[in-house]
Amino acid sequence: MFTANAHTPAKTTSPSAVTPFYGYAAISFLVAGVLLFAYSSSFNGHYFQPKILAITHIMALGWGVMIILGASHQLVPVLIESSLFSIALARLSFFLAATGIPLLAYGFFIFSMGWEAQWGGILINSAIIVYLVNLVLSIQKSKSNNVHALFVLTAACWLLLTTLIGLLLIYNFSYAFLSMDSLHYLPLHANIGIAGWFLLLVIGVGARLIPMFLISKYQRPGLLWYIYLLINGGLIGFVLNFLYLRQPGFYLAPATAVGLSLILMAYYCYQSYRMRLRKKVDEQMKISLLAVAMMILPVILLIVIIGAMQVSSSNNTLALLYGFVVFFGWLTAIILGMTFKTLPFIIWNKTHHLFAANEKTPSPKDLFSAKIFTAMGIAYLPGFVLFCAGIALANTALLRSGSALILLTAILYNWNVMKLIRYKPKRP
Amino acid sequence: MNIITNDTALCEEAIAALREVIDPEIGLNIVDLGLIYQLDFDAPNSNIYVFMTLTTQFCPMGASIVNGVKEALQTAFPGYEAAVALTFDPPWRPQRISAEGQKFLNR
Repeated sequence: MFTANAHTPAKTTSPSAVTPFYGYAAISFLVAGVLLFAYSSSFNGHYFQPKILAITHIMALGWGVMIILGASHQLVPVLIESSLFSIALARLSFFLAATGIPLLAYGFFIFSMGWEAQWGGILINSAIIVYLVNLVLSIQKSKSNNVHALFVLTAACWLLLTTLIGLLLIYNFSYAFLSMDSLHYLPLHANIGIAGWFLLLVIGVGARLIPMFLISKYQRPGLLWYIYLLINGGLIGFVLNFLYLRQPGFYLAPATAVGLSLILMAYYCYQSYRMRLRKKVDEQMKISLLAVAMMILPVILLIVIIGAMQVSSSNNTLALLYGFVVFFGWLTAIILGMTFKTLPFIIWNKTHHLFAANEKTPSPKDLFSAKIFTAMGIAYLPGFVLFCAGIALANTALLRSGSALILLTAILYNWNVMKLIRYKPKRP
Repeated sequence: MNIITNDTALCEEAIAALREVIDPEIGLNIVDLGLIYQLDFDAPNSNIYVFMTLTTQFCPMGASIVNGVKEALQTAFPGYEAAVALTFDPPWRPQRISAEGQKFLNR
């Protein structure tokens, strides 16, 4: 009876290649939380200063990029319906990024664009190249081509462009070979990274995982193609205007395209939610869905910044708020939620897969503390809102109390992540 | 939840055993989730053949669920060997969830 189309269970990526990324990201979030608390008053000043640059890069690279790289080594096989090309390349990519990120962050912290920042940048770029090679080779051997895989691949290309520009900006400090100073190119570096890497990847992966976790009947890959074209079209328009046209008013077009893509994504998530079979939505999914809603905040700020550019060239508070809303807002919210939808399964697979799935086996959600998770959510939201208010009103007390709550969020997050990573099953 | 079989009586017993196998993410058993397509019994040679699917082709829990199926059947039918083949044609759809499963998800 077993026919030619019979399959064997998929070989998943080894947990030992994935969990270091999660552990590293958790520690980075904690370090960024400590620095945010210690230097919260810096957020009253200009955004281009050592402590803020260090915090931003720890959040963007140590927290955001590392956890996404880790999760994608696990999720890419689900997206492309084929196994990962090489575990060794995944490990190499971790090693290179894990060494490069502290060097780069330290370089920013002491504001020295010397060997620390230069080598940090080189190592990070090497890590991204290794990741991209692994991704391309994995997709090449897959028989299934789908829109989700294209999102991930395109996002990885934008990430490489972001880190390459970052590296050029570091060298430009010492050798000044670009036509303008490095500060001029910061919006290019930041927006390609935010929209090209984070936004594209979060949407590509989220559009697959959100309906899957909600057990939704909703399927509309066509809509995802529009989102893909809007984000990439918007980004290309932004880059061309930045480099060649240089018309401040024209930035409204790419911002509108990205804003429209977010409205479509919100519609996609709403339809998935409406057509879900699983009525009870768990806390992790609630935070993840909140993060989707929070995506609109940076776009609104961006449009306000573009408007303000017509009147004045200085929009420091708005720029600070924009960066904070991106890294400590929607990106952090989606990671807080999705970590506890993905990591428990990775750990469960490592410890319980040979012992079968039955009623006596603990479920993945039993491997971390739901109470700590809830406390983390309770600390996070007011912390985020208070800090945003602190930036907007240039109020040190608000910045201080907001950063204390964000630090508490990071401590609780680390507690649960370490509980998962160190989990050992009880055997009779 | 339509399961094809060559032995209705044994199939009922096997379904009862397979209701013990839970999808770890959803918390619902794999029978009500609609993952089982076909159960065939070769009594003279003590073999059970299971033709089933997963909610997604690269389901990270696939190996665990397949192990669970084999273990549940070999416990319910001592001396029998259970062989499991996965198929994704047709792919699983949420519409395959039974009325019982739907009730569970509505809780």
